[in-house]
Amino acid sequence: MELFITTLVTGVMVGSIYALVALGWCLIYKCSGVLNLAMGELTLIGAYVCLSFYNWGVPFILALIFTMIIGIILGFLTERIFLRKLIGEPILTVIMVTVGLSFFFRGIVEFIWGTDTRVFSPPVFPLKPIVVGPVVIGQVYLWSFVAAIILLVAFVSFFKYTRWGLSMQACADDEMAALSLGVSAKFVYAMAWAIAFMAAGVGGTLLGNINGLNISVGYLGLLVLPAVVLGGLNSVPGAIVGGIIIGVLQNLSGAYLDQYFPGGVKEIAPFAFMVIILLFLPYGLWGWERIERV
Amino acid sequence: MSWLPCGVYHENYKQDHRWWQTKFVWGKMIFLFLFVYVLFPRFAGLYWIGVANIIGYTVLSALGVQLLIGYCGQITLGHAAFIAVGAYVCALSILMFHLPYVVSMIIAAFIAGLWSVLFGLPSAKVKGFYLIMTTMAAQFITVDFILTQYVSRIGGRGVAFSLPPGTIKIGPWVIDNDVEIYYLMVILVTLCTLALANLLRSRVGRAWIAIRDNDIAAEALGVNIVKYKLLAFFVAGVFGGVAGAFWVCNLAALSPEHFMWSWSLWLVGVILIGGVGSIHGVFFGSMFMVLVLEALKFAIAPLAPTFPQLQMKFLFLKEAAFGLAICLFLLYEPNGMAYRWWQIKNYFNLWPFSY
Repeated sequence: MELFITTLVTGVMVGSIYALVALGWCLIYKCSGVLNLAMGELTLIGAYVCLSFYNWGVPFILALIFTMIIGIILGFLTERIFLRKLIGEPILTVIMVTVGLSFFFRGIVEFIWGTDTRVFSPPVFPLKPIVVGPVVIGQVYLWSFVAAIILLVAFVSFFKYTRWGLSMQACADDEMAALSLGVSAKFVYAMAWAIAFMAAGVGGTLLGNINGLNISVGYLGLLVLPAVVLGGLNSVPGAIVGGIIIGVLQNLSGAYLDQYFPGGVKEIAPFAFMVIILLFLPYGLWGWERIERV
Repeated sequence: MSWLPCGVYHENYKQDHRWWQTKFVWGKMIFLFLFVYVLFPRFAGLYWIGVANIIGYTVLSALGVQLLIGYCGQITLGHAAFIAVGAYVCALSILMFHLPYVVSMIIAAFIAGLWSVLFGLPSAKVKGFYLIMTTMAAQFITVDFILTQYVSRIGGRGVAFSLPPGTIKIGPWVIDNDVEIYYLMVILVTLCTLALANLLRSRVGRAWIAIRDNDIAAEALGVNIVKYKLLAFFVAGVFGGVAGAFWVCNLAALSPEHFMWSWSLWLVGVILIGGVGSIHGVFFGSMFMVLVLEALKFAIAPLAPTFPQLQMKFLFLKEAAFGLAICLFLLYEPNGMAYRWWQIKNYFNLWPFSY
């Protein structure tokens, strides 16, 4: 029972990081219809930038803010150089451009920072775990959870209450109508990419704090795909809930299934779940069901 | 040649469907075969034969991807899994059951096809992005989980899957050096290309193309889309299996690292650069990717003394260059190199009166 509760709590906390990254993914899809397979690399870039700042002696919070600023710049640049020309192209083209971007980004990250595992030194969060009754939680997880929740709330209120956020919502809902009301679609796409870069960067930093930072953090960033498939592709609440559920499922299967299938069941479980979800619930929890006509 | 010269008329369908319709094309193809089978292996150095082997492997692997994406419209990002299945089944049946190489290659191709059908099953229900997700899952489940955790431990931990030299032979023909591998590669590439090209001009191929263009319309016209989609997955898996079984003879030891997700993505990139929906495209794309990256290696060599970083981290540079190449091709030449080739051919067909 204690194992169960601990796993559950850790799962929710890791899941909140996935939820943050998934939010960025979902935003790009909703606003511009781009299915982004480079999300893992966006997390990598953010994490390494933050690590560099931190290891130069910048305080962690400040490093995180710098990372977000650089994320905004990179997001604008990526959208302007690569994605803007692809509006309205077939799905395979758009997906493969993001795949090309993922190769490009990963190559550059490996070229600059190498492939060895790096850690935030000195550790950002205290190493002593917190004990609440029977449950033992690492402080890294707790603080990551707090940071992820703060950012999620910030992003969601950005969409709800600011002018820019509302224009993004309008664009996602009906692009034609939004354009005729004077919303700049180009600006909305650029904002979506900037926010995705920011969210992924913070998510990557938090993930890198948990286990050290190497290329496999990019693989963790890919876990947003099962999360958004579970939530339904074009639903922001779905992405958040899906991220948390995937985190929990991953940790539970790591704890319970590992004795039956020794080895990497933890890494593979989300993808196996995803196949099952796709077979029975192809539009996820809250995705729009698409009706096709010839 | 896409246009016939004046004065050549077809009198029946058989003539109309012939591959090589003019004397010029006959001459060109005979020269091509002569070059590939006789001249190249005799006069090229061992280095270029090695490069040609890599190109051949890429062609064999990408044929299945071209069939799925370019002709049946089923986007796959997990083809390396089926190549891996082919390679492992072939190696296992040689090592454990001592079957001849040809027999194990056939078994490997068949099992890879079945494995591909297994992961193609969701295609009956989902398409587009969701299908991409299931093929991705196929990659991770097959290579990163089953092969890494279980299959590569058959025979004990630390025992590599390696075939002793001299085991790979067809009858009395022992395949143990690059030149022999080259001949095997050329034969396999010829056979597979013939098979695919012939399939595509049959009823099956027309059904696939109908599904690619619009699957609902195809179904309305009476094409059994589930059957043909699964058949496409099967055939693509068979090509993957052949590629894997071929690559066994070029690898000292088999390991899951040769079949990672990036190889699947690489193959999709190859057909995009070559041209989607064109068999020429597979060849152009493979040659372009392999040769350009070799050229990159030469280009970097003179810079190495001043920037030793470049050479040490060449692998990463290669990755970045590949990514950039895909992006630029899709942005500026979305139809691929096959389309450019077609344009050049037509220009010279009509030259000097190209209007």
